[in-house]
Amino acid sequence: MTLQTSVASAEPYVPGRARSEVTRKVLLYALYIVIAAIFLVPFIYTVTTSFKTLPDSNNVTFIAHPWTTSAWHDIWTQFDFPTYIKNSFFLAGVIVTCNLFLSALGGYAFARLRFPGREFLFLLVLGTLMVPDQLRLVPIFLMIVHWGLFGSFWGYIMINLVSAVNLFFMRQYFLTVPRDFEEAAKLDGAGYFKTFWRVMLPLALPAMAALAILQFQGTWNDFFWPLILFGQGDQSHYTIQLGLAHLHSTYGSNWPQIAAGSIIAILPVLVIFLAFQRFFVSGSFTAGVKG
Amino acid sequence: MATTTATEATPRRLRVSMASARLHEAGWGYAFALLPIAIFGLFFIYPIGYSIYISFYHWGILGKTSPGAGTFNYSQVLHDPVYHTALKNIAEYTLVVVPLEMALGLGLALAINQKIRGRNFFRSAFYFPSIASSVAIVTIILFIFSNDGLFNHLFGSTKDWYGDASTVLWGIVGMNAWTTSGTVMVFYLAALQAIPEDVYEAAALDNTGAWRTFRKITFPLLRPAHFFCLVVFSIGALKLFDQSYLIGGPSGGPDYATITPILYIYNQVFQFSAFGVGAAAGVVFFVLLFLLTVFERFTVGRQEAA
Repeated sequence: MTLQTSVASAEPYVPGRARSEVTRKVLLYALYIVIAAIFLVPFIYTVTTSFKTLPDSNNVTFIAHPWTTSAWHDIWTQFDFPTYIKNSFFLAGVIVTCNLFLSALGGYAFARLRFPGREFLFLLVLGTLMVPDQLRLVPIFLMIVHWGLFGSFWGYIMINLVSAVNLFFMRQYFLTVPRDFEEAAKLDGAGYFKTFWRVMLPLALPAMAALAILQFQGTWNDFFWPLILFGQGDQSHYTIQLGLAHLHSTYGSNWPQIAAGSIIAILPVLVIFLAFQRFFVSGSFTAGVKG
Repeated sequence: MATTTATEATPRRLRVSMASARLHEAGWGYAFALLPIAIFGLFFIYPIGYSIYISFYHWGILGKTSPGAGTFNYSQVLHDPVYHTALKNIAEYTLVVVPLEMALGLGLALAINQKIRGRNFFRSAFYFPSIASSVAIVTIILFIFSNDGLFNHLFGSTKDWYGDASTVLWGIVGMNAWTTSGTVMVFYLAALQAIPEDVYEAAALDNTGAWRTFRKITFPLLRPAHFFCLVVFSIGALKLFDQSYLIGGPSGGPDYATITPILYIYNQVFQFSAFGVGAAAGVVFFVLLFLLTVFERFTVGRQEAA
């Protein structure tokens, strides 16, 4: 792979160079397209398969013949995909809202309000980043069971009410807001909460939007905690990921249905990704790292 | 601080009202931070202590089942051949998948960092698998790599890649390298774009070739990014659970080929209700993670230690 096209083109013009430059460009683009295909073909193939009939799904073709929506119809009626989708949107909605609000509230307190023990408490919050989820598996499971919340959404919502990463980013963002805004609010007689709610929170909307997108992705895609806290029995509580895993483990070779379910499991995040690409690929905000 | 000097210069009455204003501010500070701190305390800090406590008891779903187990749970974990297999699997997996993800991610970042048309399209395409959920990725990959699936059809094989104990772990390596390299790319891209242009211009003046420029200039300058990716993605790799669970089932089949330390904890809890052993396995794993991070910090991270 060549590193500096810009540098190469800055060299003086040599006859015959133009043609080799064109060949090079063509080869380069061919390479890019092959790599892009490795990343995209599995998904395209999945979309095609979801429109195939069951016997046709064993043929390795990229065109469904005959074309049918019966797999989509089946997962909608024979399986409870509408409920799974509803549950996932409910959890993502509640968690994104609560988590963003509490992270912003805490982040603002740590950034701007002076109180004894602030630095220590902030270090404590950052320290929780070091605790892997898996060390918490046993104690959190037992706590949720003892509180009678096993099998319900509430335990899962509770452990996601705030996150250290989001709080940290909100604090960093509030630190960059000029103090003039708060002073102006104070002159107008606004109290601390009103200043936060009416002045600082609206100013932080760009940062909150980015965090909301990543939090939505994290909650929508989450498998580990839903599996542990409410994924073992009653299917009426399944999220889309649990539902898809269930469909896959019980009807393992009905590929059109599984393909349709996989697409539903990806689609909302994909739509958000296409609409807000810069938040995903900016690097600085890529908080959730998968194995 | 500016406020202190102001206090000294102001009359007593104003000073009193400033002190009360400060008290007022501190009160609101606690009020704002209270709920977040309480949640961190209850669900992040308390569980650490609780976990360590449980690990020294025989513990059932209703609590202690015997007065104290000493280090029984720890010796149970450390002498369990299944746990040894889990550690061996995760070590093999991490040692291969992390360098692979980093090499692929760096390659993709270098490719995207060129001045080419359609850059944004290619960047999005390479990143795309990173946004999909682990369950969707696993189902799609199992479909493509099934006996008579797309992969075997293209390469004229009939192997059941994810059903065979000898290939399944490497299958997971390939799957996760495929999905995670896009995420690694994003980090490297940010680092590449922070390298000033004149460094390359200087190299061009000296007529340095592309490969030499990369090896002698770009690669060393990316050192902080290497360290960051190594730490973040090795911790991510060690926590392998979703893919193992979905492919090999809760018991880490076939033949324990996909059991991981996290899956081991899961099994202690959900198959044997052995909460004490599960908690001990969690503590052991946490210590291993911690030691690895310290090790990475003092080897690769020497110069980045801020």
